Amino acid sequence: MISLLELTKTYGRGADSVTVLDRLNFEVGAGEIFAVTGPSGAGKSTLAQCINLLERPTSGSVVVNGEDLSSLPEKRLRAARRRIGTVFQSASLLSRRTASENIALPLEYLGVTPGEIQARVGELIDRVGLGPKAHSYPFQLSGGQAQRVGIARALALRPSILLADEATSGLDPDTTSSVVELLKQLRTDLDLTVVFITHEMDTVRQIADSVARLERGRIVETGALVDLLTDHGSPLGRALQPRRGFAAADDGATTWYVTYDSADVPGDWIQRVSADLAVPVHLLGASVETVHGINTGSATLGIASEDEGLVGHVLTRYGLIGTPDGRRESGAGGAPISPVRSGAVPALEGAA
Amino acid sequence: MSAVNVSSGVGGLIYVPRADVPVAELPALLLPAYGETVLMVGIVMAVVLVIGTPLGVLLHNAAPGGLFERPALHAVLGWIISVGRSLPFLILMASIVPFTRFITGTNIGIAAAVVPMSLAGIAFFTRIVENALRSVPPSIVRVARASGGSNLQIMRSAQFGEAVPAVLGGLTIQVIAMIEYSAIAGTIGAGGIGYVAVTYGYQRFDNTVMLATILILVATVAFVQVAGDRLVRWVTPQKRLQRA
Ligand SMILES: Nc1ncnc2c1ncn2[C@@H]1O[C@H](COP(=O)(O)OP(=O)(O)OP(=O)(O)O)[C@@H](O)[C@H]1O
Ligand SMILES: [Mg+2]
Repeated sequence: MISLLELTKTYGRGADSVTVLDRLNFEVGAGEIFAVTGPSGAGKSTLAQCINLLERPTSGSVVVNGEDLSSLPEKRLRAARRRIGTVFQSASLLSRRTASENIALPLEYLGVTPGEIQARVGELIDRVGLGPKAHSYPFQLSGGQAQRVGIARALALRPSILLADEATSGLDPDTTSSVVELLKQLRTDLDLTVVFITHEMDTVRQIADSVARLERGRIVETGALVDLLTDHGSPLGRALQPRRGFAAADDGATTWYVTYDSADVPGDWIQRVSADLAVPVHLLGASVETVHGINTGSATLGIASEDEGLVGHVLTRYGLIGTPDGRRESGAGGAPISPVRSGAVPALEGAA
Repeated sequence: MSAVNVSSGVGGLIYVPRADVPVAELPALLLPAYGETVLMVGIVMAVVLVIGTPLGVLLHNAAPGGLFERPALHAVLGWIISVGRSLPFLILMASIVPFTRFITGTNIGIAAAVVPMSLAGIAFFTRIVENALRSVPPSIVRVARASGGSNLQIMRSAQFGEAVPAVLGGLTIQVIAMIEYSAIAGTIGAGGIGYVAVTYGYQRFDNTVMLATILILVATVAFVQVAGDRLVRWVTPQKRLQRA
């Protein structure tokens, strides 16, 4: 378990100082995967470095399993670091060492005997599914394999916390998925607490139990992934949803943007909405997926009904929130848009 | 005509032959001199490696962003090295004669040449090591720190370990520079192939000796370069294993 209490990091002094992290508070329970997202420059990497104690927080604390690590004297910091395994972007492997030798690094630093190192490294290499690549050098590994080595190295000292800073950034989607699956498996098997930092929303949806959004050094929104995804009022929830293009509606039909807004939207909701309204409902575009067993996503529909109030009402019946797209266009330019139920309206991209 | 003695430390008057040294006598003249050059460069390189390597690592890590930032130490050290590097070797050698004599008790011969060569070489190599360490991505050092390494462990396995090919590449350049310096040191009677080139080739217009020393030096430098390249290749897994 890890908690941050009023964690603040300021670089520089006096007038030139910049506060990169501003009184952050959050708690990640044992076995939980907590994703931190945010735009470039938000302070994500700085947060990572404060958590694994490579940087000292200016104030506030990092508490791991009940012990405040941030106040330790420099000498004990090194020991404390060993409780937190870190997976870095693009693995950062030593180029002149084989996969095994890279994994052995933290063990060597600790002074473990060669025999024990060999046993532990063998275990770890199998654990991350890299057996045949044990003696390969980094240049002989694919990005995903290198990242597995990075993960194994992070786990070498049996940490209770795993910290990943952009661990999957730069990997192709399939490789990202396999690395994500590995991390989830490890979390379950080793009861790891995982802090997963990324700017990739697709990856967050795959991996996270909870999500926080960091902007300009502050956590602007946080919550359980499923709650965020099924809350149309949540900017983070909307940011997490993929944006897809959609086809144009038929003449006379209105384009509706519909999001899943509850945990129990029935699977046949399109059919039901069509039946309730007694008009055809065209599916123009959609992105729907199951997250932790709950359907989430959004769809763009063409509905040949003039009665927007009724359509909105029918949609809410099935746990959905709809916005007629025509309104969005007329409302473009800053005027408040009135969705059928209160709440902000997502920006639509790629209207075909 | 054959009474030629160019063993080390010879200064002052020597019998001056009028004609070129016959080719048959070249080995007797050049081999001992070559041995002296190898000895001189060898001693200097040993000193340079032992002192220059830690100094380079220190310089790199005392700099802002290093493992133990010491801006004042870095500035002073950097300044001293820059001064050492900026003096032409001949000037450096001449200007430290009292120091050389204090250390070796003489200002002539191999021992006397080794002192200025070592000083110049240390300054040179310190920069080479510093530069090589600078090319190691900071993320590597971050990984090593996050893996619980002490500064010493990080410097050894992460920084220096990664920089080995670059250091060896620099070392090759350094050995070649030291061969050149040994020739310059030859002008103060340090012995070695450079001394022969200067006294025979230059001062006595002995073209045979001049040509022979040139060939020897070219061959030596070429050999050092090839050996250095091989070594770099050997310590770089990607180059070693990806043979065309
Ligand atoms: N050592 C430092 N000194 C001063 N400012 C710094 C330092 N490190 C980071 N910053 C600043 O802190 C801010 C946050 O940087 P950080 O690297 O944490 O962002 P990030 O969220 O990880 O961005 P990205 O997604 O691009 O990786 C940036 O404005 C950066 O300029
Ligand atoms: Mg970053």
